[in-house]
Amino acid sequence: MKKVALRRIPMSRNKQSIRPTLSGDGIGDKLRYFISRAILNIRQNVLVNVLTIGTITLALLIVSLFLLVFVNLESTADEWSGKIQVTAYFETEPSSQELAAMLARIKAIQGTDKVSYVSKGEAMERFRSRLKGQETLLDGVPADVLPSSIEITLKRQSREDGAMQAYVERLKNIPGIDEVQYGEEWVRRFNTFMNFLRFVGALLGGFLLMAVLFIVSNTIKLTIYARKEELEVMDLVGATRFFIKAPFLIEGILQGAAGAVLALLILVAAYFGFLHSATNFVNFSSSVTGLSFLPAGYVAGIFAGGVILGFLGSLTSLKRFINNPQ
Amino acid sequence: MTCAHEESKKEDAMIQFHNVFMSYQRDAAALNDVSIKVPKGDFVFVTGPSGAGKSTLMKLVYAALVPNRGQVLVDGQNITRLTRTQIPYLRRTIGVVFQDFKLLPNRTVLENVAITLEVLGWNKRDIGKKVYHVLKQMGIEHKINATPLRLSGGEQQRVALARALVNDPKILLADEPTGNLDDENKEQILSIFREANIRGTTVVVATHDRRVIDNSHKRVIVLEKGRVAEDTDVPK
Repeated sequence: MKKVALRRIPMSRNKQSIRPTLSGDGIGDKLRYFISRAILNIRQNVLVNVLTIGTITLALLIVSLFLLVFVNLESTADEWSGKIQVTAYFETEPSSQELAAMLARIKAIQGTDKVSYVSKGEAMERFRSRLKGQETLLDGVPADVLPSSIEITLKRQSREDGAMQAYVERLKNIPGIDEVQYGEEWVRRFNTFMNFLRFVGALLGGFLLMAVLFIVSNTIKLTIYARKEELEVMDLVGATRFFIKAPFLIEGILQGAAGAVLALLILVAAYFGFLHSATNFVNFSSSVTGLSFLPAGYVAGIFAGGVILGFLGSLTSLKRFINNPQ
Repeated sequence: MTCAHEESKKEDAMIQFHNVFMSYQRDAAALNDVSIKVPKGDFVFVTGPSGAGKSTLMKLVYAALVPNRGQVLVDGQNITRLTRTQIPYLRRTIGVVFQDFKLLPNRTVLENVAITLEVLGWNKRDIGKKVYHVLKQMGIEHKINATPLRLSGGEQQRVALARALVNDPKILLADEPTGNLDDENKEQILSIFREANIRGTTVVVATHDRRVIDNSHKRVIVLEKGRVAEDTDVPK
């Protein structure tokens, strides 16, 4: 009877075909074996792996959504800070030679981005355009009643409160410049707001990261606990710690990478979905909403984060079971 | 001459316990001053009531535990001095089976038995041949692709035995191997033990099943409260 049964199930039809080989002592051979063992483990423990990958995906999605919001807030704030302008007024109206010398000296100050001269006529013109519809108010007012000035925009590093004050001091030292205005209070408030935003971002991001680490490491711990018997058996038949750990660590890396890719795909879908609903179909573009996706560096960081999360999660969980398997 | 004689005596013993003391908690001793010697190729039953120290004794042999006092020698090697990295190499020479079989439910019979040889670095083809050969000896080669959950208790224990014996270990340790089996299966398992013993494996079976022991006519070590109460090999 048994022989008949054997003929029906010849060895060549065994599951052997998907079972990995150990064909040598070389590093490449061993690595190949561990990777194929890890992939086989994933196939044999689908539910556990879905759970782990799902948790990593959700965790990274939360972190990357937070990053996306933060990056966009920062870039918006950065745009606002570009509007910070320093205006310098003259003691007396300079001659064109004096003006050229003055402009050259201002350009030489560190932190200067753009410098432009606003003549009395231009100032009046601007004022007139602001009074749109009520230009008659300016009837009888002489054209040179407003002072001429120099408007300066600053480079990013000089837009901070302290740096800006230092810049203004240097500007005041230039002979011929009488008064400097730069919306001191606004700059101070803006910088306070930005610092607050960064602080809250770091705090929230920190808490979020800790929560994510905790959840992911516990999920991995549970999934490894579910396979405690496997670790015990390997230990029992004389597998070295490295031999036991390696497939689990590779499995962790694969889980982390899969989780990161899934999280990024969902993030991309959510981003374009949001753009799609926020704008009309024709104007479907990020330039309309002013929103941008995460920079490449962040995307790479999230992927690396997933891989590291999977690897470290497995490593710390394994340590507990392998050191004391019995 | 004396030294050489001592040396040869040492080599003859596969397992030696010298005044071994082992306790999990401060007060209760699992093993108390145990000294035994199991020669190479011997077949020994270790028996005694629950909590007598049978499992502890087994665990000490495959270095799952380290004694609080005393020495444990396996094939002439003092295993109480083994480092963590040396333990796997000791275990490759010892086959262990348990009452609950410890088979991996999501792997096939072939894969369960193959683990032992994969650890040793065997290649796929040789593993397939060897596993099939061992399963055939156990009479379960037709279950090679089944998962353990589809097997009866007796078949599961034979798979566990195949895993333990597939690399022809020096020692076979069995902790209550027939606890979950009916009489027919018990006899089959015991005959596998006997065959392994005939091939040169030293067999140590921990059991409290007196019928199994009485029918076997082998050496019996009786443990009581962590002490050797009786050893049929040692005249009273």
